[in-house]
Amino acid sequence: MAIHLRLVDVVKRFGTAVAVDGVSLDIEEGCFFTLLGPSGCGKTTLLRVVAGFHLPDRGDVYLRDRRITHLPPHARGTAMVFQEYALFPHMTVEENVGYGLRMRRVPAAEARERVRRVLELVGLVGQERKYPHQLSGGQQQRVALARALVVEPEVLLLDEPLSNLDAKLRLRVREELRDLQRRLGQTTVYVTHDQEEALALSDRIAVMNAGRVLQVGTPEEVYLRPRNRFVAEFVGLANFVEGQWVGPGRVQAGRLELQVEDGGSSGRKVLLAVRPEEVRVRSAPPAGSPNALRGRVRSITFLGSVRRCTVETDGLQWVVDVQPDVRLQTAQEVYLEVPPDRLRVVEEG
Amino acid sequence: MGRLGVVAAGVEARRQLADPGLALAFVGGAAALGLFVLYPTVRVLLYPTVHDYLTIPQSVRWIQAARNSLVSTVLSTSTAVLVGLAFAFAITRPDVPGRRFFRTVALLPLFAPPFMVAFSYILLFGRQGLVTRHLLGLDVNIFGLHGLWLAQTVAFFPLAMLVIAGVLESVSPSLEHAARNLGADEWQVARTVTLALARPGIAGAALVVAISVLADFGNAVVIAGGWPLLATEAWFRLEGMADLRGASLVVAMLVVPTTGLFLVERYWVGRRRYTTITGRGGRLERPPTYPPLKWAAFSVCVLTSVLVVLIYLGVVAGAFTAVWGRDWSITLDHWRLASDRVTSLWASLRVAAGAGLVTAVAGILLAFLTSRPVPLRRALDFLAVLPGALPGVFVGVGFVLAFNRPPLELVGTPWVLVLALAFWHLPLGYQAAVAQLQQIDRSIEEAASNLGARGLHLLRDVYLPLLARAFVEGFTVSFVRAVTNVSIAVFLVSPGNVVATFAILNMIGNGIWGGAAALTTMLLLVTFAALAAARLAAGRALRPVPAG
Repeated sequence: MAIHLRLVDVVKRFGTAVAVDGVSLDIEEGCFFTLLGPSGCGKTTLLRVVAGFHLPDRGDVYLRDRRITHLPPHARGTAMVFQEYALFPHMTVEENVGYGLRMRRVPAAEARERVRRVLELVGLVGQERKYPHQLSGGQQQRVALARALVVEPEVLLLDEPLSNLDAKLRLRVREELRDLQRRLGQTTVYVTHDQEEALALSDRIAVMNAGRVLQVGTPEEVYLRPRNRFVAEFVGLANFVEGQWVGPGRVQAGRLELQVEDGGSSGRKVLLAVRPEEVRVRSAPPAGSPNALRGRVRSITFLGSVRRCTVETDGLQWVVDVQPDVRLQTAQEVYLEVPPDRLRVVEEG
Repeated sequence: MGRLGVVAAGVEARRQLADPGLALAFVGGAAALGLFVLYPTVRVLLYPTVHDYLTIPQSVRWIQAARNSLVSTVLSTSTAVLVGLAFAFAITRPDVPGRRFFRTVALLPLFAPPFMVAFSYILLFGRQGLVTRHLLGLDVNIFGLHGLWLAQTVAFFPLAMLVIAGVLESVSPSLEHAARNLGADEWQVARTVTLALARPGIAGAALVVAISVLADFGNAVVIAGGWPLLATEAWFRLEGMADLRGASLVVAMLVVPTTGLFLVERYWVGRRRYTTITGRGGRLERPPTYPPLKWAAFSVCVLTSVLVVLIYLGVVAGAFTAVWGRDWSITLDHWRLASDRVTSLWASLRVAAGAGLVTAVAGILLAFLTSRPVPLRRALDFLAVLPGALPGVFVGVGFVLAFNRPPLELVGTPWVLVLALAFWHLPLGYQAAVAQLQQIDRSIEEAASNLGARGLHLLRDVYLPLLARAFVEGFTVSFVRAVTNVSIAVFLVSPGNVVATFAILNMIGNGIWGGAAALTTMLLLVTFAALAAARLAAGRALRPVPAG
């Protein structure tokens, strides 16, 4: 696939604070690309650099092969959906959606037709004459989306568009958004701090912290093969084990020796991670299984779909998820089974 | 459901009044509003007979005054709103140079006595004008419509600026960015978003300014010359001819349009303001302003700022110049003359302090009452804001008619002026208190009553400490406006209680410009000293209240 949007070594400072610190990204055509990170990590600033609201202090933005770094926002073909929607309160739904076409001097008849089609697409037919304050949050969100889509942008930019919706609606709009993006094959850059949202929506995710991109990959790669502690911690919950290689596939962590599938050179330090749902809990010692650890249940929290337990083994704390029908009690003696292929090397050296 | 609701509201109202302190406050508040707002108003309107009202169309002089008032209102309102818009635009765009300076300068006319702009412009631009005659060598007669137009534009554009700036400030920067993002250039953003959103603000500003221009007595009496206007006609009737009937008829003619404009502003335009805040969002700076628009606003601001600064410079220069227009040597003689009338300054201070106190206390008490489900809540609220619709001359005539005979014969005492000014400015104190009350979280009160505080105890223990700010604000605004008032003072001063503004007006009328300028300068010093003291007090009033 062709590269649609390319960022090369983008730096953006506000005074002495560095908001974006040398970010380079290649985003393919038709890709749903997500910038994921905690608040203040620079993801929104980066999106605004792409939209042309901020001029980068260094680096360039390319749309296909065209350098657009210094183009004003209205000449870029990057339509944006704002976090707070930014609907024009003095215009009706129709006028809001048609605004971009009016500014581009699209003939009235054609504009009307395009507005009608896009309103059909987002399911807002019948609401044309209403003002934003007469709509529900979900409807306002759709107007914002329609207003961005109707100008047929090269790249669609979405800045936490679901954060103002309640939890149930958020799930539904998420699916609709994903579906719409696939159908239109619309290249999209999405900003969020919600890892679940990022995993569910994206083709590719860039995890950001402190102005830098820490890892780029598919949702599976980011979740299952985090390349550092921050990514592993931010994308889902993880148990970390600090240790030292003592032989091929063997890591010494305190009094425990763990088997790991990956190799490693003896003597080097290593950080291992395993997800709570990947650790199994047994009431009797499992036969013939490596990494069977005896421990004691410290606490149990019922979360509906799982029971989350804290188990202590030889001075290490493990968070493990078990099925709700598994009966456990605090202070009960249990055995943890950590599959070697799930105990992943996150950092080394 | 509806009836149940009504019944429940009635029960709740009775429960509120079961508290003796609250019941007393209710009776006191309602009686004060009835006696000092409603009664004088009704007295004026019912004083002329139906026959008198019917003769209005036959009086050439009154028809002319009404027409003149209309012309000056249309002209001055248009220019004041345009200038106010330019200022509001300039001070809300981060890329306009000098915007902080413009904001400060634009507030200056609000602290000047209402006749000062006209007086200063006579000194500067009149037949003996420093600028027109002595710098430019022109022979200009400033008296009449054009002089009034200029003075009122400069005197009232700050009101327009405050209203419009409030609206422009609430336009979220992300709306402008969204427009840019969708393909609008800088001019289109200004035209289709920023200024389009300001339209209700501009309409509101026009109404507020029109009320002030219609009711403007100070500038009109000084600079309108032989040009009859409704606002000044009432005083000429009463002063020159002791014609109470004629005076009440004229102010009744004046109160109809001001009340109409007031109601339109409050109940129609006020509701059409766009709320543009929708959920949270990151802070964005406003995008750059369309350069021609930016520099147009900037030029208007520079030119107007010069005119504003000149108001003050003209008066101060007048206070130190031997004989204005003939002998430009510097002298302190006028200050000696002004010192002879210094008793009028003390009278002003006493009256204004009394008025400020009454305004602030009554404002807070009424705001507290109308914030809970007491009977007649809406009526009380309406009466508390109604004085904002009444021209000063109307209130002046109203208090003369209402309190010049037993049982409440107050005319001739200083109290009548204190009460008239206090209740004329009541909306300022009341609205300041309402705004503060709205900021007080309901849960604070609930916590207090949960711990056992009831009725007036709530007011004393919870609200009063928190309302200290509203008190200082209500007191200060009422004080400053009372100390500089002329429109009511001219009707209610008595020989023993001549206030400074009245003394100044007489000096101007008698051509004693130097003395008038010196006394005005003293008055300004007192006003600004009071403002500074209020700022200090506000700081102190807020200190004991912990944040959050």
